[in-house]
Amino acid sequence: MKLLKPTWVNHNGKPIFSVDIHPDGTKFATGGQACVNCVRWSNSGMYLASGGDDKLIMVWKRATYIGPSTVFGSSGKLANVEQWRCVSILRSHSGDVMDVAWSPHDAWLASCSVDNTVVIWNAVKFPEILATLRGHSGLVKGLTWDPVGKYIASQADDRSLKVWRTLDWQLETSITKPFDECGGTTHVLRLSWSPDGHYLVSAHAMNNSGPTAQIIEREGWKTNMDFVGHRKAVTVVKFNPKIFKKKQKNGSSAKPSCPYCCCAVGSKDRSLSVWLTCLKRPLVVIHELFDKSIMDISWTLNGLGILVCSMDGSVAFLDFSQDELGDPLSEEEKSRIHQSTYGKSLAIMTETQLSTAVIENPEMLKYQRRQQQQQLDQKGSAARETGSATSVAGVVNGESLEDIRKNLLKKQVETRTADGRRRITPLCIAQLDTGDFSTAFFNSIPLSGSLAGTMLTSHSSPQLLPLDSSTPVPFGTSKPSTEPVAATGTRPAGDSVSKDSVNAASAPAAPSPSILTTPSKIEPMKAFDSRFTERSKATPGAPALAGLTPTAMESHGCLCLCRLKEQSLVKELRPRDVLESSSDSDEKVPVAKPSSLSKRKLELEVETVEKKKKGRPRKDSRLMPMSLSVQSPAALTAEKDAVCLSVPAAALKLPMPGPQRAFTLQVSSDPSMYIEVENEVTAVGGLKLSRLKCSREGKEWETVLTSRILTAAGSCDVVCVACEKRMLSVFSTCGRRLLPPILLPSPISTLHCTGSYVMALTATATLSVWDVHRQIVVVKEESLHSILAGSDMTVSQILLTQHGIPVMNLSDGKAYCFNPSLSAWNLVSDKQDSLAQCADFRSSLPPQDAMLCSGPLAIVQGRASTSSGRQAARLFSVPHMVQQETTLAYLESQVAAALTLRSSHEYRHWLLLYVRYLVNEGFEYRLREICKDLLGPVHSSTGSQWESTVVGLRKRDLLKELLPVIGQNLRFQRLFTECQEQLDILRDK
Amino acid sequence: MAKVSVLNVAVLENPCPFHSPFRFEISFECNEALADDLEWKIIYVGSAESEEFDQILDSVLVGPVPAGRHMFVFQADAPNPSLIPETDAVGVTVVLITCTYHGQEFIRVGYYVNNEYPNPELRENPPQKPDFSQLQRNILTSNPRVTRFHINWDNNTDRLEAIENHDPALGCGFPLSCTPIKGLGLPGCIPGLLPENSMDCI
Repeated sequence: MKLLKPTWVNHNGKPIFSVDIHPDGTKFATGGQACVNCVRWSNSGMYLASGGDDKLIMVWKRATYIGPSTVFGSSGKLANVEQWRCVSILRSHSGDVMDVAWSPHDAWLASCSVDNTVVIWNAVKFPEILATLRGHSGLVKGLTWDPVGKYIASQADDRSLKVWRTLDWQLETSITKPFDECGGTTHVLRLSWSPDGHYLVSAHAMNNSGPTAQIIEREGWKTNMDFVGHRKAVTVVKFNPKIFKKKQKNGSSAKPSCPYCCCAVGSKDRSLSVWLTCLKRPLVVIHELFDKSIMDISWTLNGLGILVCSMDGSVAFLDFSQDELGDPLSEEEKSRIHQSTYGKSLAIMTETQLSTAVIENPEMLKYQRRQQQQQLDQKGSAARETGSATSVAGVVNGESLEDIRKNLLKKQVETRTADGRRRITPLCIAQLDTGDFSTAFFNSIPLSGSLAGTMLTSHSSPQLLPLDSSTPVPFGTSKPSTEPVAATGTRPAGDSVSKDSVNAASAPAAPSPSILTTPSKIEPMKAFDSRFTERSKATPGAPALAGLTPTAMESHGCLCLCRLKEQSLVKELRPRDVLESSSDSDEKVPVAKPSSLSKRKLELEVETVEKKKKGRPRKDSRLMPMSLSVQSPAALTAEKDAVCLSVPAAALKLPMPGPQRAFTLQVSSDPSMYIEVENEVTAVGGLKLSRLKCSREGKEWETVLTSRILTAAGSCDVVCVACEKRMLSVFSTCGRRLLPPILLPSPISTLHCTGSYVMALTATATLSVWDVHRQIVVVKEESLHSILAGSDMTVSQILLTQHGIPVMNLSDGKAYCFNPSLSAWNLVSDKQDSLAQCADFRSSLPPQDAMLCSGPLAIVQGRASTSSGRQAARLFSVPHMVQQETTLAYLESQVAAALTLRSSHEYRHWLLLYVRYLVNEGFEYRLREICKDLLGPVHSSTGSQWESTVVGLRKRDLLKELLPVIGQNLRFQRLFTECQEQLDILRDK
Repeated sequence: MAKVSVLNVAVLENPCPFHSPFRFEISFECNEALADDLEWKIIYVGSAESEEFDQILDSVLVGPVPAGRHMFVFQADAPNPSLIPETDAVGVTVVLITCTYHGQEFIRVGYYVNNEYPNPELRENPPQKPDFSQLQRNILTSNPRVTRFHINWDNNTDRLEAIENHDPALGCGFPLSCTPIKGLGLPGCIPGLLPENSMDCI
């Protein structure tokens, strides 16, 4: 074992409360300085969550584009190698957040607080809260997830440890006995669950008035064992992520021993102990490691390194060898243990398992290679982008950033506000990154080359432990080194990099030159110093400050990200005199509240409101073809006034629109289209006529009808009106009558138009749909009896899709569409559908959030049914088999519903999802059937019933799209090959 | 967490004659669209001795500010020489760029400014009364002094609403997550029952 105390990791002497090593082993985060209580990387390494005294949890993500590498004004003494941006701020806790924890697979994020609660956040959809776990009566100071995701455990100052089920977020058990003697004396109580799931180990517990770490068995939550020996309360327990087995000695035929776990325990007594579950005594105890209590522990993912941080503001790193700990089991073996113990493993098919499969076919091999190559290319291009950051000229709208900068003053828009003040509209040079690389080109700003330099060093061969630089890299793999460490010296001196730092970097061992070598005469003057740091008093231009009120500080900005491999460099850079040039004021400054709203602000608000108003209809018009929202409000009113003509006894009766003197109806806002109706216009000889007026983008037409108009509807193609005496008239967009009046079987209830389709729902609940352009009937007087009968359900929403398919949303949450080819009603959506709630296909979702697929099905089902986070909650709690079945059933019904609704976009979306799920879960038969149908007969035969398209999509194109998905699972390589070959044959034909 | 962070301030046309306008190219990043404008100010410190001689050269509103990176050039006229004490006209002083949101200052960037006669003769024997037309202004661009202040970026009322908005989500989260239990028996039975079931599957 080797021990290192890197002095360059510090928060200026302030306490470090938390430390966490990134899963890829290249960096770690520390949090402290009396504001950040906890930092945790997500399992994927994509996010960093931090919890602090400001009651917030902040979720950080690496920014993909590169900005200035230094914080402006910090004179380049500490270059930011990476930029991490806060992507979510989670607000719910009413007190300091003490601990945060990502669930296995990153589906959830849990946080606990001194407000006595634990909050479970939907990590797929921040800031959605899935549950708030209440039950603790004291400050909750630690959290840990069960490695198989079935439980979460929390430990609090109320002398209890509680285990909660993830199935329903209810309390599973509360363990109090080992904590009876405990006092609330520790800052944190970081408990931990063993990687095999068998044991939960608490922080601070007592046994015979001695401090212990209590071992709680998963089986029956028994508390028979504990880790004893620390002289003061245990603050933190952390299991090694690996499961180990005894190192096999060469030559000896030792029987394979039981796998065991390894656990580190830190205490207020400033010592650290490391235990193996196969030994009765600790593997190692290190006393006096720190001057103050240990606060947090983090293992490297390979299980051989451990970082410990302390209240005294320092960290320590321990490096173990495999001889000391044992042979770590592979992830595959680990998941096999999970599988045999808990019936399932989280990893459905890990990459390691895949790599053992034999690739049988050169096509497949090529495909796999291509994929790898693509990934490499992506990485490469990313690296290139970062590497050549300085040379890539930012381009905005085809103009280089340099050009823009030259002309910025002339080009920028400057206006005067109502009160005569100058107002500049800033030029937007980059969007905030959305995760793609496109924005990387906007790296714009006078880029100091130091970034590129340091990036390279970070990849160059690490010298983690100067004590023994020949040891292999302790922190996982490192990228192949391309540049010697000295590369840092070659920073091009940008205007924000002081030349001194170049010297310092290239000659790290040399005594640091004074950085403030400012042009000769200029000496910092004491008199000015206060001017730099003191806030200006209210100046005439600013609204007067109306009294100072302390408000909650928004930030807990004392996070530190450290690059492990850079330490040899940074170590030398750090201890230098800190230049006074930047001073983030740490003290909580009383914040001035904006006083009265200035006039200007009010005006601004009005402006934004107006903008919003303008913005909205556009959205509607997009949905217009099948949306109801702009239809006349008069459409479904006044049942009483209606004159019933022929209502069969006991038959259904739908509300009818009453006669109105005049009404206006907006058909769409873009293009803007209105219908105006005026009834009983007196014409010659006392005759009463009705006038129909339509205005479309300023063009107007009008026409007259002989009977009163009850309701009207329109689309971009047709305008139709229903009159008294059951007459329905249809006009073209220019006002030309397209048909003689249609006589409806009974009075109109609701009228709809979409495209050239006209739908009429009558008061006796019969439905007709015509295509007026082709002049054919799509649905002929179909009764709603079958879907409405037997209860007092009503139709809550009506939809007519672009393909003339009517959809009825009923008040009980079910939605039916009428399938003209089957001449039957199909159930397409059910809000109470338990399948939708049990199904989990999160793993099959494409990387981008494609849940935003819009179309009739999405409208009918509403967004609620697609909240994958909630569905994911079942992943761990329902038996896997049941889960699979429900997911399959759900996905199949979605595909079928999209097909029935002829929504090609949604059909494609759900089919892809379904296939991806089949591939992930390994359902060969169904997959084969789909492929067969999509492929069709390769050799054309006359008797073939096969249709080459489905809802307007070419089936073979769909299959081509599906092939890469199928190719992802080596298990289906034969299917992949078959389809590929046959598609090739077809193409050659 | 500050919503706006200044990425860079480039001093344009430096050094320059005393009477030339100040020009700063300011790049900043905003991580959440701002409801209101930012207010930027350039303050010229006439004398180190007293704030009395501070001149606000100009103040501009900058907006609208959506999320993203932005830049603009802030130009302001040179200070009025008549307001500068004669003894302080030549030598080192300070120019400050401040930015406020809702009347709260959250960043202050200060530069040392050196006013001197480029002409060696004048430098040796400066005139009794400073000759501003001969003075050259040199801003020490390499060493900005940046001070950041924590301010309240939201209106407090907004914040409360945001918290309240979470609650409905929580309320509806529960009934839904309870439903699968019905199919599996009583909640209490599940832990014991589950491993067995799943074993069967395999």
